[in-house]
Amino acid sequence: MRPTNIPRVTGLCLAVLVALGALPASAQAPSPAAPTSEEWIKKLSGLATEPDLDLAELKKQAAERIKARVEPIPNKRPLMAPELNKLPHFFAEILFDEDAAVVRPDSYRTLGRIADTLTHPSMLGYKFLIVGHTASGGRRDFNLTLSQRRADVIRDVLVNTFKVSPKRLVTLGLGEEQLLDRAKPGAPVNRQIQIATVASAIEAHAPPAAPAAAAPAKAGAHKSKR
Amino acid sequence: MNRILTIIAVLSIAASSSASAETIKFEDSAALLGAACARDIDANCRGVNLDPQRMKDCLVRNQDVLSPQCKGEYSRAFDAIQKRVAARLAVFKLCERDIVKLCPSVQKGDRGAAVDCLLAGPRGIGINCGKSLGEAGYR
Repeated sequence: MRPTNIPRVTGLCLAVLVALGALPASAQAPSPAAPTSEEWIKKLSGLATEPDLDLAELKKQAAERIKARVEPIPNKRPLMAPELNKLPHFFAEILFDEDAAVVRPDSYRTLGRIADTLTHPSMLGYKFLIVGHTASGGRRDFNLTLSQRRADVIRDVLVNTFKVSPKRLVTLGLGEEQLLDRAKPGAPVNRQIQIATVASAIEAHAPPAAPAAAAPAKAGAHKSKR
Repeated sequence: MNRILTIIAVLSIAASSSASAETIKFEDSAALLGAACARDIDANCRGVNLDPQRMKDCLVRNQDVLSPQCKGEYSRAFDAIQKRVAARLAVFKLCERDIVKLCPSVQKGDRGAAVDCLLAGPRGIGINCGKSLGEAGYR
């Protein structure tokens, strides 16, 4: 009895999936696991100390490592910049045209959500790093360049469309040099965009008359200002 | 005559109150564009990224072949984004004096702390400043 039922149920599930796939994009509800900007705000909060990031140097090192063919097997490669994962950060799934730095319309919602996150009052005092990653496959040097271009495009959309200050955003492409899931180097999960809090965005002015301890009204929401 | 004037007054109040309503999240306006125009963008604007100039120009150029759905929504989506951007800029103009007066511990240029301070509802906050916080979606 049971064994005959299982295939029928599977068949039904498949039929439902096919039907869903045929619906226009507008009719599809966002996946239930979609994060909210509130969750991302939480993840970006709490930068303890500003990291000493030399992005130009990291870019150079990544290119050199690829040229020298360091560790051709993707899942054995040491992470290019492990320190990034210690910063407050989140990952976002953004779909691009294949091999291009063009965001698919299906991901506009996610771009808007990132804009909501970075323009929330509690985030206005910070600078962020946008990191592009790719899965493993094809040429490593192409992937490195592609991930940089994609990170740059995310920045451009945030600046041009949602008017996030360009001073608050820096970018880095790590290609397949810092796989997000090393067990599955070719998996789409490795293509996510990472956004990390890297610095205070408040420019140094003459120190206020009151000492710093008296300044922030909401402890924790803002880090100590210079 | 009086009745006409009354209607005009009511209409203008309605119009101004709807114009000053809270603006919508970037997520929602961007999703509106993505959902209404995904196919049109694929068919006519391949290679163009979300951008208030370039993407809008491309859609305008292709007006005649756009789906009714996209045609009806794309300006609305871009307008909604623009409205929220403007509403947020307006906060710092309309609240400039309130911030100086009511939030003395906030460092100059620290907009996040300034908004937090204003949202805490200090006594004597200006009407326009208070209204602008709502319009910007900060409340």
